Amino acid sequence: MQNQSNNFIALSEVAVQDKTMRSAVVFGTGNASTRRLASMYAAGEAHGEGLRQQGAEAKRRALRKLPELLELAESNLTANGVTVLWASDAAEANAHVRDIAKKHGLKKAIKVKSMLSEEIGLNGALESAGIEVVETDLGEWIVQLSGDHPSHVIAPIIHKTKASIRDLFVERFGMTPTDDAAEMVAFAREKLRAEFLSADMGISGGNFIIAESGTLCLVTNEGNGRLCTSLPDVHVAVVGIEKIVETFEDYATLTQTLTRSGTGQLLTVYTQMINGPRRPNEMDGPRQVYVILVDNGRSDIYATEYAAVLACVRCGACQNVCPVYRSTGGHAYGWVYGGPIGAVLTPLLTGIENASPLPYASSLCGACKAACPVDIDLPKMLLDLRRDVVEHGKNGRIWDVGIKVWALGNRSQTLFKLGGIAARLGQKVIGQRLPEPLAGWTKYRDFPEFAPKSFHQRWAERKKGTS
Amino acid sequence: MSARDKILGKLRAAQTPFTDVPPIETRLRVTPDIDPSPVALKARFLKQTALVAVKPWEVADDDAAVVKVMELLAEDDTVMAWDFDQIGLPTLEAALSARKIRVTHPDDGEVRVGITGVDAALAATGSVVLTSGAGRSRGASLLPTVHIAVVRAAQILPDLEAYFERVRAHGSDHFRQSSNIVVITGSSRTADIGQELILGAHGPVEVHVIMVG
Repeated sequence: MQNQSNNFIALSEVAVQDKTMRSAVVFGTGNASTRRLASMYAAGEAHGEGLRQQGAEAKRRALRKLPELLELAESNLTANGVTVLWASDAAEANAHVRDIAKKHGLKKAIKVKSMLSEEIGLNGALESAGIEVVETDLGEWIVQLSGDHPSHVIAPIIHKTKASIRDLFVERFGMTPTDDAAEMVAFAREKLRAEFLSADMGISGGNFIIAESGTLCLVTNEGNGRLCTSLPDVHVAVVGIEKIVETFEDYATLTQTLTRSGTGQLLTVYTQMINGPRRPNEMDGPRQVYVILVDNGRSDIYATEYAAVLACVRCGACQNVCPVYRSTGGHAYGWVYGGPIGAVLTPLLTGIENASPLPYASSLCGACKAACPVDIDLPKMLLDLRRDVVEHGKNGRIWDVGIKVWALGNRSQTLFKLGGIAARLGQKVIGQRLPEPLAGWTKYRDFPEFAPKSFHQRWAERKKGTS
Repeated sequence: MSARDKILGKLRAAQTPFTDVPPIETRLRVTPDIDPSPVALKARFLKQTALVAVKPWEVADDDAAVVKVMELLAEDDTVMAWDFDQIGLPTLEAALSARKIRVTHPDDGEVRVGITGVDAALAATGSVVLTSGAGRSRGASLLPTVHIAVVRAAQILPDLEAYFERVRAHGSDHFRQSSNIVVITGSSRTADIGQELILGAHGPVEVHVIMVG
């Protein structure tokens, strides 16, 4: 998808005025956070913190050995009968999926929700090759039907109201109008069941790959994940190279803290571990399984001080607690990932020059780090990225000049005093709204009033009075 | 250069991150408070299943289990099912044929009820673990609206960690003995529309556990 992240300020100005969207996002994220706290800390504060550290260490151990574990996973996946393919970038990943479809003569794909597939634009790439693609996660299906994009990593239509979904179903399929969400879900189940039964290709992402056994792991709630990976003859999984974990013990920690952090569930309804295609004695399951290991910028991140962001399990907890995300929703961030994780990943994956406002889309309050099940230090990364923005000269001229003037004024007492006098006089003339080119700073807030006397003046007066 | 060599080459060229991560000494269990006595495991399992909208039915023995399964089959003339020895209820076959109920193929998208056994059950989460294999289709626990799982009290383990410990005790290769392992915790659900939790998305709408013994 086209990266609009440099328009963050304009996009967020529009977003914060959308009261319907904001109340849906505040409600949904608030609920998720409450459930996360209840389940992560069910056995006490210290135990929950211990689980976060255990998760962080499991991911970091895996990242430390990433090249070795990728090779181990590859050989175990292959031994399980899976065809492993590698893709350096989006184009290569999409080409692999198209080639698989061509090789087996596949015409219709059903898809499990996958953020990586959004990142690489897989649906468009398949459709342009004449392959029909149907998203089957209810939220993703609604996103696809309305030509939208997901705005949250696990709740793709957190920005949409029930009424807008009803209208979509009525307009698109002539559904009998209803305000009952259960009736809408039943309607979708029937519509999508026909798609499940007529597809010849299932596409998924992957939450984890366990290296020691070559096991592909998926967490889903609706059942579409199992249907997509069980019914069609060919299953293709596109998985980021950072999704490797070493052992089932590490996976046990991570899959349970992922679900607790995402939705507050102890486990998702379906926690699936896939060891390749159906065996000769089985009556169902795919006959071919492909795993495409996708880099798309991850190996570049691996070589930087931001490597810890590769530990992310995409639970969305940081989005749920972020005061910026909760005000703007996910679309304002302009690309696939919103919220704190998006503000870090987008500049790293798409280039800092294409996402320079995002590191500033944070109050650095630290809620994201505290919520993260693998304890990624997102606030520190956002600060470091701000430094990178400055070093890339992406700060804007006004800011650069302003900082220079400020530094000059602070180095000389005379200039500092003169500056104070000028500011107090200036404010009498212009009031609480700054003129261009500084007007943006006071667009939504008053310029604070200066005290009538400076500290120096008061200090001198006080010394005079008491001596 | 192949994508594989390029990716692995870049990762190897980078300075290895996280060299300071400590070795594993002890692991916390995600749910630390499970009493492993058989009585407590069963009580906890039943309590947790109710929390995830699974309907538990306690029965004394195999005969009572067959009676309960037959009760749950309303007007059905067809079911999807694992092989009867895999369900662990050999007399179910006779009970079904006495009512002229046919067992259908595991890709039948219309059938209402699926009957399976389980490989294990997990007390901490109220989950059942199913592995695919000969006579154990994926479809029976997936396509029908109603999934009936037959669980024996002795199959209940404390948690997911304990299940993996059991597999590992048989040798690490046992992790891939089945092409598909699924831990099912509750009935299929979605909260995508207006954040309302709705039971019954694409998988079974109802999950029944027949708890034998």
